[in-house]
Amino acid sequence: MTSEDDTEQDNGTRQVVVRLDGVRKEFGDTTALDGVSLEIRAGEAVAVMGPSGCGKSTLLNMVAGLDRPTAGSVVVHGEDLGALRETGLALFRRHHIGMIFQFFNLLDDLPALDNVALAAQLTGTPARHARKRALELLDELGIADRRNTYPAALSGGERQRVAVARALMNRPALLLADEPTGALDSRSGEQVMDLLLDLNQIGQTLLMVTHDPRLATRCATRLVEVTDGRIARQSSLERTA
Amino acid sequence: MSAVWRAARAAVRRRRLQTLVIGVTVLLSTATLVVALGLLAVSSGPFDQAFSRQSGAHVTAAFDAGKVTDAQLARTAHSAGVEAFAGPFGQAVLNVPATADIVRAGNRITVVGRADPAGPVDRLNLWAGHWATRPGQIVLEAPPLAGNSSVGAKIAISSGPTLTVVGMASSITRTADAWVAPSQIAALHPTGTQMDYRFTSAATSAEIRTDLAPVTDGLPRGALLNSTSYLSVKDRVDSGPGTLVPFLLVFGVLGLTVAIVIIINVVSGAVVAGFRHIGVLKAMGFTPNQVVAVYLLMVCVPAILGCVVGTALGDLLAKPLLKKAFESFISAGVILPARVSPWVDAACLLGVPVLAGLAALVPALRAHRVSAVEAISAGSRQQAGRGLRVQRRLSGTRLPRSVSLGLGLPFARPARSALTMVTVVLGVASVTFAIGVSASLTRLQNDDPGHNSAGIQAVLLAGGRTGPETGRAATKLGDAGTQARLRSLPGAVNVTAETHAALAIAGSARRIDTVFYRGSTSNFGFKVVDGRWYRGPGEIVLSSGQLYQSGLAVGDGLTLALGGRQTHLTIVGEVLAGPGDSFADWTTLERLSPRAAARSYDVQLAPGTDANAYLAKALAADPGLSRGQPPSASTTALVIISFSSLITLMLGAVSVLGVVNTVVLNTRERRRDLGMLKSIGMTPRQVTAMVVTSMAALGAIGGVLGVPLGVAAHRLIIPITGRAARFDLPGSIIDVWSTPMLGLLALAGVVIAALGALVPAGAAARLTIAEVLHSE
Repeated sequence: MTSEDDTEQDNGTRQVVVRLDGVRKEFGDTTALDGVSLEIRAGEAVAVMGPSGCGKSTLLNMVAGLDRPTAGSVVVHGEDLGALRETGLALFRRHHIGMIFQFFNLLDDLPALDNVALAAQLTGTPARHARKRALELLDELGIADRRNTYPAALSGGERQRVAVARALMNRPALLLADEPTGALDSRSGEQVMDLLLDLNQIGQTLLMVTHDPRLATRCATRLVEVTDGRIARQSSLERTA
Repeated sequence: MSAVWRAARAAVRRRRLQTLVIGVTVLLSTATLVVALGLLAVSSGPFDQAFSRQSGAHVTAAFDAGKVTDAQLARTAHSAGVEAFAGPFGQAVLNVPATADIVRAGNRITVVGRADPAGPVDRLNLWAGHWATRPGQIVLEAPPLAGNSSVGAKIAISSGPTLTVVGMASSITRTADAWVAPSQIAALHPTGTQMDYRFTSAATSAEIRTDLAPVTDGLPRGALLNSTSYLSVKDRVDSGPGTLVPFLLVFGVLGLTVAIVIIINVVSGAVVAGFRHIGVLKAMGFTPNQVVAVYLLMVCVPAILGCVVGTALGDLLAKPLLKKAFESFISAGVILPARVSPWVDAACLLGVPVLAGLAALVPALRAHRVSAVEAISAGSRQQAGRGLRVQRRLSGTRLPRSVSLGLGLPFARPARSALTMVTVVLGVASVTFAIGVSASLTRLQNDDPGHNSAGIQAVLLAGGRTGPETGRAATKLGDAGTQARLRSLPGAVNVTAETHAALAIAGSARRIDTVFYRGSTSNFGFKVVDGRWYRGPGEIVLSSGQLYQSGLAVGDGLTLALGGRQTHLTIVGEVLAGPGDSFADWTTLERLSPRAAARSYDVQLAPGTDANAYLAKALAADPGLSRGQPPSASTTALVIISFSSLITLMLGAVSVLGVVNTVVLNTRERRRDLGMLKSIGMTPRQVTAMVVTSMAALGAIGGVLGVPLGVAAHRLIIPITGRAARFDLPGSIIDVWSTPMLGLLALAGVVIAALGALVPAGAAARLTIAEVLHSE
């Protein structure tokens, strides 16, 4: 199922989407990441796993530009995130990053369609066009019929699908997922896994942080194991059916 | 109890900003209230107390000694309605030199012969020296103030004896300027006899007129020279603070309402935001009552602190204001406390925290009702949104998404938004009211020629002691020559000679301060409220205050005296001017003082003329002239304007704090949403715009609602204040609003809201996304 240290063999010719070089992150006296270097190429689906508190979410935050490293550099889609100010980081996320969270993080005040359209509207896309594209996405994800439903009335799986649709709204170069199945029942989790797999298969680069080995083996092409803020092991994965 | 106290203390520490908002809001509101109530308490008591203590005369009557005997007057004491009396006392009007030794009397004084300062009516407050018991002694009337004593001074009576001041006394209704022993008054050739009456019922002017009728019934016609009601004195002394009290009460009520609204908002917010905290407390074993106690303590601790500091601040602010407001009381000899009444402090110290506690009780009871499980789950569960239809509609508009999201935010918490809007409404109403007050007072000053700097560009004083009393001019060219010379200088358009004189009302101790003009007054901007301006000799125009105090009306006749001469005048108009002013033509003065000379020359210059250059030429032309002070603003008006500006700033700050509190609550509740929005690319500026917009929308509505409220308060209060100050205000003083001005004032709501939202919005924009999005 796995073959060690052969991560560059298949993807050696593809564009590097993420490059972390000696990234260190400290929170007071605690070191969350300690000299992490990592490359992710276009079309890859990378799963980051490790015990709680090992630094995997911090790693994801660095790539998303949600947090800044104490040392080292983070380059995503050719952009050195360390050189960007807050507004620059926001614009970078808007155009190049899509994020999915364990607890969905949808706006309770907006129905599913408007939650999805929101991401495009922030770029200045007119409401009508944004809603049209959002509807297409919801349709692709199989929840178009729930477009006018508010998050509180959606199931966990449906909420996560809406979150995925929102993440894809601006056609991001990189889709980040933080425990995307962590708050879902097994059936909904399966649906989300299928969704991520499908996305990757049509070329979407994916970086996931998960505790769930099923998600990693089902969706990822590469596994990065993190322990005590360091990358302990990287390996290619062969997806299971 | 210690567990409750500990939990409350921890809650206060955790909610530092909310604690600060409650404390500062209560502080500022209490300070405003203390000043307003303090002034009200002092203004409603001292005269009545002093009047009762001194057994003041309801009516002081002067009778013609040639027409009525003392025995006849003594019999009037048995008339129906007379409760007590003093008299008959011989009364003489004397000319004395106007020296500094006679503090208040001026140079024409009414002297009464009295055996002692006590008695059943008009008990005098002999506050320095002793009573005049033998010839050669005199007691002067003056308020008991430091530096007012003239004991030991000598007063040379014109064509009479020289008297030594042996005592100083004050009379609550000022029945005389001075008193001598009965054995002395005969030598001063009294022309009148004074009787002081107290009646069984004398609450109104009508009652006093009814009381006086049987007193004068049996007397020869014309025996009564004049009578003075205590009501006019009371009215005069009350008019000072009366002008300030309505303003302060409005501000006090506004301040307290804002404080209550903010406290309800803060505690409701704390209850909603602290649902999980409530659940934890209950799960730990806190009873519902203990939970309520925690929340009440959380509010009452900063409220009590704010109230204590606010009371001290109010006391401090009230001191100079009381001094200014009660000048008229002090001059009437009423001793006033130097500080706010202790019951006001006690009422505020007790009442404001109770009010804050009551305001907190309603939302705190919500914490009482909710079960532990419900509270804990409510604190973490995904809640259905509110105002969904509005959000939906806004999302489809062409507005930038950050703006449309911001506009929708207030609908998510309608009650909180409503309370915040009320705060803004009251803030805007305060600003509107204060600006209206300032505009009215400014217009009032501009309409009062005594304070009108627009009509007169230069004032030149005639040197030396001039005026009607001395009848001489100290200028080189003489009075008329100086006026002609000033008129001939380049740039002069009009030169009007002016002098003042205190004219005695015939047979009375009262005087009317009259301004006499020689020359045109058409550009002085006098605002005639009723009747017309004088046209020549024999006519006089009185201010509203003078008319009110004297009980006269336009059309009435009046005999005035100066230096032994009398002239009969007709009141032809009522004018908007200082309460003590009246105006007449120079030709009227010439009847009373043929050789009177001007004290000053008011010069109107042609547009573009350099006033300083003109003055230099005028002074060079006649060394007897000196530069006069340009007209200045009334100090009472300045006090009101500056005080209302100060309170407006305070209430504005409180409103801003109310908005800060709401935004802090909103952004804390929406941390996750904000984090999500930032994660999908909302820039810090867009976050700030969204948060500020959410409050600006409320501010705009608050502005639109607050302006009419402020205008209504202004329209209600200004006429009340005018009546208190004895002004009949024309419509132009009240109609100060213009459409652009109202439009700008409506924007004040947006400004208050934006100011309040800016700082917490900035904090929201700096929110660390990673922290909020990964915790649930």
